[in-house]
Amino acid sequence: MATTATITLTSADIAGDPVNVSKTATCTKAGATTDLDQSTGLQRVHLRSTANKVLLAANAEGNDLAAKVYIINKATDPTLYLTITINAQTIGKLYAGDWMFIPWSQTDTAANIEVAATNHTAGTGDIPVEYALFHEDTDFLTNA
Amino acid sequence: MATTTATLTLASTDLLSDELALTTSATLTGHNNATGVTAAIGLSRVTIADTSETTIFDASAYTDDKAHKVYIKNTESDASYSFLVKVGGTELGRLYAGDFMFAPWNADTTGTDCDVTITPSNSGMTAEYMAFID
Repeated sequence: MATTATITLTSADIAGDPVNVSKTATCTKAGATTDLDQSTGLQRVHLRSTANKVLLAANAEGNDLAAKVYIINKATDPTLYLTITINAQTIGKLYAGDWMFIPWSQTDTAANIEVAATNHTAGTGDIPVEYALFHEDTDFLTNA
Repeated sequence: MATTTATLTLASTDLLSDELALTTSATLTGHNNATGVTAAIGLSRVTIADTSETTIFDASAYTDDKAHKVYIKNTESDASYSFLVKVGGTELGRLYAGDFMFAPWNADTTGTDCDVTITPSNSGMTAEYMAFID
């Protein structure tokens, strides 16, 4: 059940020499070569809240298990960004078209992944957000 | 203005009953604008002799609340070797052998410095990392 993730980072002009990094990882269970075998599939929500909303709810059973989270901001307006928070710690902002792919090992039930449409107003429209969780252990399945 | 592109492909022919084939590309831009990010911390490599927590991105060295992006890769091949990644002291997760991550980072310094740290599970482990700076 191999799931692979490939990243390519390129720029011809951000440095004196071109940047061209390409890596592929096979998503495996914690400390093993066994493939991850569970997924939420690709989900889509429309965010209009300037307050944090739980995108993926933590479950302490997932602590120290392997999980990968993919989130993308599908907005096209560069002023519509998502603020990403994990366990009450702001990590960063996903701007229009930006995506992230991170490991997620829940430390406790407070380790929710939350998002906020920080600049949203009634006139800006919703922010479409797509996300997916790849993980191990059926008891770990969490979805807001 | 530099043009920097980050592309992710997620693929599996057998995880689900339908094939997974997701590809997305993002042009990395600045905070609240469409201007490309302007600087990069080139691909760097660190071998940590012991199992101590090591800061690879110090928030105080960057502008707070911007559209930075960070990339980290565990270069090890032994599946039992992992790096625990934290941001601002909060655990994100573990990068197992061969794993990478790519995440936004706001380099917040208003409360707890939002440093990015890695803690190896074993001594002598090597990670690679880079950042794109707004």
